[in-house]
Amino acid sequence: MKNDREGQLKIYQLFSPVLYGICLKYMKNEDDAKDVFQEAFVIVFQKINQYKFEGSFEGWLKRIFINKLIETLNKKKKESFFLDVFDPDTDFVEEEELEIIPMEQEKLLEYIRDLPDQYRTVFNLYVFEKMKHKEIAELLNISEGTSKSNLNRAKHILQKRILSIKNFKTA
Amino acid sequence: MKKQKIEDIFSSMEDFSSVPPPELWGQIEEKLDKPKKKKRAILWWSAAACLLLGLLLPSILHFSSSPQNKNFDNGKGGFENNRVVLDEKINDNTKKGNINSNNNHNKTLDSVTNVSSTKDKLNNSKATQEQESAVAHANSKNKTNKKDSESHMQLPNNNVPNQSLAVQNFNSSEEKSGARSSKKSILEKDKFSNTKGIAEERVAFGKQNKFNSTAKKQLSNSIFNDKLVPKNNNNFAFNTESSAGNTNASKQNAAVYKNEKVSEKTLAANTKDNSKFNTAALSKKDSMQLAELQNLEKGILAPETKKEEKDKKDKLINKKEKWALSVFAGVASSENTKNEKTLGNVNDSKQSNSFGVKTKYSINKKWAVGSGLKINELGQSVANVSYVSAKGNALFAPGEYASNSNSPVSQASSNSDYILISNSTKEALKGDNIQSGKLDQNLRYIEMPLEVSYSVFNKNKASINLNTGGFVGKLISNNVALDGHSIGENVTANDYVYGSTLSSTIQYRVYKKTNVFVEPAMNYYINPLNSQSFNQFQWGLNFGLNVSF
Repeated sequence: MKNDREGQLKIYQLFSPVLYGICLKYMKNEDDAKDVFQEAFVIVFQKINQYKFEGSFEGWLKRIFINKLIETLNKKKKESFFLDVFDPDTDFVEEEELEIIPMEQEKLLEYIRDLPDQYRTVFNLYVFEKMKHKEIAELLNISEGTSKSNLNRAKHILQKRILSIKNFKTA
Repeated sequence: MKKQKIEDIFSSMEDFSSVPPPELWGQIEEKLDKPKKKKRAILWWSAAACLLLGLLLPSILHFSSSPQNKNFDNGKGGFENNRVVLDEKINDNTKKGNINSNNNHNKTLDSVTNVSSTKDKLNNSKATQEQESAVAHANSKNKTNKKDSESHMQLPNNNVPNQSLAVQNFNSSEEKSGARSSKKSILEKDKFSNTKGIAEERVAFGKQNKFNSTAKKQLSNSIFNDKLVPKNNNNFAFNTESSAGNTNASKQNAAVYKNEKVSEKTLAANTKDNSKFNTAALSKKDSMQLAELQNLEKGILAPETKKEEKDKKDKLINKKEKWALSVFAGVASSENTKNEKTLGNVNDSKQSNSFGVKTKYSINKKWAVGSGLKINELGQSVANVSYVSAKGNALFAPGEYASNSNSPVSQASSNSDYILISNSTKEALKGDNIQSGKLDQNLRYIEMPLEVSYSVFNKNKASINLNTGGFVGKLISNNVALDGHSIGENVTANDYVYGSTLSSTIQYRVYKKTNVFVEPAMNYYINPLNSQSFNQFQWGLNFGLNVSF
């Protein structure tokens, strides 16, 4: 399987849309997303014999991709990534409930990608991967508090942007 | 208007997918071909570096410790570098035999330490000192074949995007709960399992595999026989339209299939069930793809599942094992790498035995340090050494030959009354007493090595390590034998020696924590004798038993 190019292509064809979508959500620009996508797929094919058939194959693929994404983000911003700075303006702001506004996925993707790296990563892990703050903290090597505050800040920023659209539309 | 949280607004992004640009597959293929070469190159480079280090280290130490390697020559080239210097026991016996001999000649035998000077007197020749300079050449030629293997797989330009499928499975709620519970157990296993350095390791997902929560959209439940789901009613949804980032479109399913019976145990059963799909609803293309996927699954699944638990156990053991204790025994062969000669005859290699105990401490997965105790023997054998025996010959006097011939008598034996004569002087000497025999010299040491070990291969039960380091040795036995009879000791032998070692341990686990190993090795002794040359290089092959704990 490891060297079966045809099999590799099949796997690529099956899972590449979902995995590329993940890369786009985690990386700020498309070029970076492409780079990580390639590198992660190479890892997948190199390590495919280590897949133990525990859990789903797609879950295994996603884990590899997300680890690679986080590794890349960490390398990019080694110093400033996941700074644990308390911000009272956002950390204790209660989440507002927003009116449903039908939005295109492209637009939503744009909002996510506009978030600072650290907020975007925590937001992605919490909202899409359904991870708990404890798990995120372990994965990103940050405190649970930082994870929570990063998530709140991400939500706050997204909220603002959605509200601004809403206000723009109503005006 | 209905209100919702921010997560709800973005919930549609959970399944966000986008078809990657077609050129990416080509780039991935290129990358897949490259790393193999890199890995191989790294392996060869590290092996070459170890070898180079092992060979250079003794040379460096040797030349830094003894800047002048003095050799004596009789001026005629008859004596080569080596002399065998025997016991002080010589004195009494030679005195008895040398009634008529010149006092000077007796004196030559009086003291071992005076051998050089007495030899000069006997020879009436100049003792010239030659300083040998040796150059250690270490040529390492590394040829790298940079043949770029071209991919034979040519992907049509529109192949990737067009053939990409957005596949979704809609599991029943029953399945979800089943799947989640299975995930939990899987992840608990994951926590303890020792996966090998893949990026996956970094994720500590805790009790639940969050990625698997999206299992409802996973084809893998059907592709890869998920044993843990008791009843797998997978619905395949193939979206034949490929549109970037359009998951809504993907929900326009071409067909929905229900797999009623999926066997828990075997893939064969699974494929059988899959064959029960309502193929009428499938387009030909889709069914072909499905069949290919099943074949793919077979390829991945076949040998691995049964061995999983065993592997895990092995890995668990490996994880805990930091220390290893080995006992070993083997054969060694001391080699003459510099074409050194003794009494005009080339030093031959000499086989000996070695044995010892060794302990190793693993610093991490790859590196370990080790030490121990080892009894080893360095030796050399010289054939056709000419000698004169005074045994049973009352009239024999070594001095006679010397005084008559003006040629050197290199060494005298002691308790057996032997005088060893070099090849060049043999012709010059008259008499019938000259015999030839085999001279064996053995130096036995108790050694303490200090080694660094690097694991180049470790899979299942087998492992290969490269070891390099140095050792110090204490002389415990020193013997010179002529035709099998001991005639004394080599008094120029150093009590303490040091050197370097390079070896490779090929190990196989035979039972739980017990391994057997074979260890080809080479040792280099820097200073076996203090003023003469001796076989310094030694090949060895050890066999041993190793217990990890």
